[in-house]
Amino acid sequence: MSSVGKQSTAPGAVKNMVEITIDGNIVTAEEGSSLFNAVKWTGVELPAMCYHYSFSPFGSCGLCLVEVEGKKNNVRACTAKVIEGMVVRTGTDEMVEARKGAVEKHLTTHPLDCPVCDKDGQCELQDMAYDLEVYDIKEAKRKEIPEDTRSIVLDFNMERCILCGQCINVCKEVQLVDALCFYKKDKQKHVGAHGGETLYCEFCGDCLAVCPVGAIVSKFSKYTFKPWQLKKTETTCSFCSDGCTITLETSDRDIQVVTSELSYTSKFGYEVEPGEGHGGICVRGRFGFDYVMSKDRLSKPLSRENGSLQPTAWFTALMQIGKQLNDIKTTYGPQAIAGLVSGRCTNESVYLFQRLMRSVLKTNNIDTAARYGHMNSVHAMQTALKIGKATITYEQLALSDAIFMVGSNLTETNPIAALRPKASMTEYGGQLFVADTSKTNILNLATHPLQIALDSETDLIQALVKVVIEKDLADPDFIEKYPKAYENMKSAAAALSQTALSEKTALEWGKIEETAEALANSKRGVLLWGEGIVSKPDAYENVLRLIDLALLCGLFRKEGAGVLPVCEENNEQGAVDMGGVPEFLPGQIDFLSQSDRERFSSTWHAALPEPGQETSGFTLPEIIEAAHRGEIKALYLVGENPLGTLPAEMKVREALEKVDLIICQDPFLTETGEMADYVLPAAVFAENEGTYTNMAGAVNRVSEAFDPRGEARPDWKIFTDLSKHLGHPIQYRSVEEIHDEIAKMVPGYYQADPPKPQPEAYLDAQFISHISGRYAATKPPQDAETEIHLSMEQVLYHSGKLTTRDKGLMKIYNKSVLLMSEADAETLGGLITGDPVHIQSELGQLEVKIEVSPNLPKGLVQFPIHFNDPPVKDLLKVEVDPLTKVIYFKKGVVTLERPASVDLRVLPMETPPETIQQEAQETPSEEDTEVS
Amino acid sequence: MNKLFHSAFFTEILKALRMVFGHYFVKEVTLQYPHEKNTLPDTHRGALCLLRYESGEERCVGCDLCNAACPSYCITVVSAVEENDHVVRRFATSFDIDMTKCVFCGFCVEACPVNALGMTKMYEYSTSNKRDLVFDKAKLYEIGEKWHGQAKGYLIAHNQEGEDETVSEYRYRFPSSRKQEEEQKEEVEAQVDG
Amino acid sequence: MAVETPHTTEEKKTLPLLRTEELLLNLGPQHPSTHGVLKVILTLEGEKVVKSEPILGFLHRGVEKIAETVTYNQFIPHTDRLDYVCAMYNNFAYVRAVEKILNISVPERAEYLRTIVAEVQRIIGHLFWLGTQALDIGAMTVFFFTFRDREVLLDLFEELCGARLTTSWYRVGGVERDFTQKFIDDLSRFIESFHTKIEEYDTLLVNNRIWLARTKDIAVISGEDAVAYGLSGSVLRGSGVDYDLRKVSPYGAYDKVEWSVPLGTKGDTYDRYWVRMEELKESTKIIRQCLAQLPEGEYKAYLPQVVAPPKERVFTDMESMIYQFKLYTDGFKVPEGDVYCGTEAHKGELGFYIVSQGGGKPYRLKIRAPSFIHMGAFDFMAKGYMIADVITIFGTYDIVMGECDR
Repeated sequence: MSSVGKQSTAPGAVKNMVEITIDGNIVTAEEGSSLFNAVKWTGVELPAMCYHYSFSPFGSCGLCLVEVEGKKNNVRACTAKVIEGMVVRTGTDEMVEARKGAVEKHLTTHPLDCPVCDKDGQCELQDMAYDLEVYDIKEAKRKEIPEDTRSIVLDFNMERCILCGQCINVCKEVQLVDALCFYKKDKQKHVGAHGGETLYCEFCGDCLAVCPVGAIVSKFSKYTFKPWQLKKTETTCSFCSDGCTITLETSDRDIQVVTSELSYTSKFGYEVEPGEGHGGICVRGRFGFDYVMSKDRLSKPLSRENGSLQPTAWFTALMQIGKQLNDIKTTYGPQAIAGLVSGRCTNESVYLFQRLMRSVLKTNNIDTAARYGHMNSVHAMQTALKIGKATITYEQLALSDAIFMVGSNLTETNPIAALRPKASMTEYGGQLFVADTSKTNILNLATHPLQIALDSETDLIQALVKVVIEKDLADPDFIEKYPKAYENMKSAAAALSQTALSEKTALEWGKIEETAEALANSKRGVLLWGEGIVSKPDAYENVLRLIDLALLCGLFRKEGAGVLPVCEENNEQGAVDMGGVPEFLPGQIDFLSQSDRERFSSTWHAALPEPGQETSGFTLPEIIEAAHRGEIKALYLVGENPLGTLPAEMKVREALEKVDLIICQDPFLTETGEMADYVLPAAVFAENEGTYTNMAGAVNRVSEAFDPRGEARPDWKIFTDLSKHLGHPIQYRSVEEIHDEIAKMVPGYYQADPPKPQPEAYLDAQFISHISGRYAATKPPQDAETEIHLSMEQVLYHSGKLTTRDKGLMKIYNKSVLLMSEADAETLGGLITGDPVHIQSELGQLEVKIEVSPNLPKGLVQFPIHFNDPPVKDLLKVEVDPLTKVIYFKKGVVTLERPASVDLRVLPMETPPETIQQEAQETPSEEDTEVS
Repeated sequence: MNKLFHSAFFTEILKALRMVFGHYFVKEVTLQYPHEKNTLPDTHRGALCLLRYESGEERCVGCDLCNAACPSYCITVVSAVEENDHVVRRFATSFDIDMTKCVFCGFCVEACPVNALGMTKMYEYSTSNKRDLVFDKAKLYEIGEKWHGQAKGYLIAHNQEGEDETVSEYRYRFPSSRKQEEEQKEEVEAQVDG
Repeated sequence: MAVETPHTTEEKKTLPLLRTEELLLNLGPQHPSTHGVLKVILTLEGEKVVKSEPILGFLHRGVEKIAETVTYNQFIPHTDRLDYVCAMYNNFAYVRAVEKILNISVPERAEYLRTIVAEVQRIIGHLFWLGTQALDIGAMTVFFFTFRDREVLLDLFEELCGARLTTSWYRVGGVERDFTQKFIDDLSRFIESFHTKIEEYDTLLVNNRIWLARTKDIAVISGEDAVAYGLSGSVLRGSGVDYDLRKVSPYGAYDKVEWSVPLGTKGDTYDRYWVRMEELKESTKIIRQCLAQLPEGEYKAYLPQVVAPPKERVFTDMESMIYQFKLYTDGFKVPEGDVYCGTEAHKGELGFYIVSQGGGKPYRLKIRAPSFIHMGAFDFMAKGYMIADVITIFGTYDIVMGECDR
């Protein structure tokens, strides 16, 4: 894809600079680049409405006109290319008149919508008309096009459209989605979905952001605001681990719109450094703000009186909690107290929570949501590399020349981070290798799609290691430094059979070789893995294998190369870094490290809990187990909802029933909250101050947009208040002070540079002896032909369980349906989308509607992890990793059956299947809203 | 000598007294408010009101330009979307003017792109409760109905509106919605089929 | 300060020594004759003023700071509240400053309209001053007479723009509303009969011995001192300094009509009174000539980027609608730079200093308020006079605290 508009060539590419004359000044510019940029650099402000730095110039608005000597007609600077010796004039009177004419053309057909238009006040057409002093237009003719309000998110008002095409270009060139196009209807040019159909796309809303007029309008905030009414707060998105910077535009305590850097006003960002993102946000960030204002939010603390939860005062609740916790501590000992903290809390909250638990309650039984998978990455990387986070930044990901992505459906889980590999392909000529079992979005886009057989990730990595070693592509630096480790790997890899690996992965050996060669020869190669690796058994070993692969390819040595483990929740990485797990003190310091324990205990003015004989503290599965045994008497849940998250096999309900005191601190009343003795209303991200750490390890600021709703309080305030009632006041006056303490205790945490890996473990004889075990051949799958695998997958439109409380996102996606391959649907007797199916495992059975998807392989069904109705997750067997204690409940084996009573309704022939789909999804959504 | 005479007999004071007492025979200029009231010109900037079209439809579309123009930021407009008759409209769900803050400059009226606001000659609305001085939408429309003539007079006097009711020629109207249009079409088709 | 007492030495022995010392007297801020909320700490020696220290700021509202948060147009109603008895002058001075930084001119008719209204405002201001000054000194009747005539003019203002005091009639690029025939007729009638009113005031005051006693040789300031203290307006001209901005750097239609600048000789309170009375007559002269010369034409400049479009066009033109929204939300863009523009208000030189960094709002706005500057000379002018004269001296400046404290 050409991109003259963007100053974006792969690093190190040679630019051919030529001299041109602009307004009498001689300027050097890159040959073939956009003349518009060359003019911009001279300091001349050329007006433009269709130009945007994030995609190639389009040349539709006709405003950036310049005079070029030797050309009869005026030249559009954006699409014109720099040629040696050009003589350009920008400011002549004719040019000014011509530009005025271009604006006039748009104004003649524009409706007088300013009073109602949502874009008024930040409208580029207004700005242009005013700045160019376009006045006294003779003729005017209204287009008379009805507004297209069919889509569930975006309204298209073609009367206002100036047909600049920015929406179409950003969709096509940045998002690589290509959902929009120009089409003709009733002799008028329209913008919309292909063929004039109803738009249903990723709804990233980038088209909305770049629209210079009010032609594309969000349904969620239509006609509800004017820009001058809104207060803008720059903060960090609270959904996935991308950590995008968003701007909350609020009036009073309502979020009206969420915007980001990407907009028509920042269109001249040609200064953007190569690799810097385009500044957009995804569907969740842009449209998932309604839950903040939800009426379901808790407004008062609740305490259990006579069996039911009753509103109470903060002071009473905290005093009683303090008293009861102290009682439990003295009666049963600190080991009887445990705490869980969500991966959505800020770093400061997690830090303060673990300080409260460790220094005041003297217990080390704390855990966080990273235990659902990300701890595998952290543990494996800590063991092998002495760091527990990504070694590259997003910029380096975008500039990478070879990305190997495995077990990650990045476009769905982390849509904005996914733009980086996309950009690496389209902008910087990188190669993208995506290994996945199903045909995911990113796999389809990849330069090298590698669709592998079910559960063959291990084999693929082994095969890649084998190729790198056998082809002598390994990093000589690694061989030199760690010869023993290399020898072990070599001998182990030699034992693996090429044909067996090729068969198991269902990939041609040539493709594997190609991948391995590209990675090994890359200059800035990146390895990226996600929940498909870390949330499945053998994850710890798989991550170690990936690290081996990275080491063999020299990814930790080369500048700009590295690994990026993807985690799910926005601050999972931060929660681990802040010591929200029993293994680590803040800064991922070993809990048993004596010198650091002293450092922390002297700062906290309290002794830390002594490590027990067997364990230094209970992890999440151990807490549940201990609760079963009746050892846990008090459980403090901060934003965690184990009852809603964990499958039935964990018997969480039974475990929680044995706990005497459950404190649930959450913005909403969750399933667990209903069982709790005290429910404390917490503030959401828009009401909080603090920081989030994204998956690349960058720390982003979270700012308070308004005061919490009702009597809700930010976490840090609850913790400090509670500590007073516990008799050990922890005093902070603001989040800033906690922040400063973290900066002091965890030096360098807020610095942007990724840490340097130290693979010294590869010198350790014991560690090396493990290596051979890592490259043993995997067991062949049983009954591969008939077995059906159920996998819980994340959906683009949702993040965790939180967004199911968001009206907007539920309106966009509320399909609690089982995705099924065409082959499987055929095997079950020709099921079609919307049909119910019986799904059964050893643990139970239930009925669920299906949707046939062409992207799934045979033998795999998927269900969105976000929905608990029907409770498909309860069919899954739980496995706990013996080493990292991660709970695996992502995948399981099920059997599918056609339900006994076949629905005999007759479907009208002409109705397309989509219509049925919509009907099917609309009914439950209405029920949901009524119930909530 | 003359000076002495004047100073001895207070002539200048007597002259002044004569002039002052002469005013007993001049028509008095004082108005005995509240029994007598001044006639106010049409231009008078009194209490604000909201106006309707002749069809009874609310003029205000909730664009908040009045608030943007207000030097004392005393207007609060909350707008929302309303869908009826196959047209998606913008309208003000609430429109409050804090009369305790209002400086009666008339900028809001000048700014209003649909002439929904007008000023009346109403100036007697003192109250013992300060909260009553926040005029809400209902109250503003009530004033607008009661003093419609005054508000119109104000708009004409301040060149906001032509005297020859050209108001019906407004080019502005809400676009119809395509969803609605198609639904309508479907309905018609269904009826035909039926 | 030791003051010699007339007692003999013998008496000194028997009688205790009379303790004499300076008396500190707080005058105001609630004193009715301080024209608002002015406080003066007087140091008295008997009844003699030794030192006086005006304490300002009781009416401070941060107007200059407010200016930084509102658009140039939105600030016009805020200027009404500076010198709240003569809002038109504040409007005039402000829009002149903005027009100067924008480097725009207004139509000729608008210049005449502005001049006429400014002079009407001058008459109102002087009448107000005369009434209150006389009232302060003890002559109550004058107050009734001047306010009777001021009412007529205020009614005219209401007829013109809808408000009597908070007028906001001047706009950048012109004025808000043209004169109606009724306004012109009423104004002409008033102007024709105004000399009889002036005669009435003169009857009451000009030979009145109390008035003369209270004003002659009170608060004398020489021309040099007046200049040195930065005094302006009638206070400066009362000392015989021929400085009137309307003549020195003419604006409006002042250079197109015949009029003269009355000058005092001694620089005492009476001279300032006399200058103001003469200015009333000059103002009627100016108004009469302006009304006679009033040209036809537009009362607002045709400057789409500055002056909001006419309302009828907003309803029908896209571009007018856009300009309406741009002008009322962002305001017109003012080029980078700074400007000072002084206007001869009836109190003195009212100046606006505007710093613009481009954009729709001033970066900084400073008001040179004559009342404030005049208060600087208060100590100098009150020194040595009786405490009763202090009130006269307030009055002679024609001080309005709204402008002084801002």
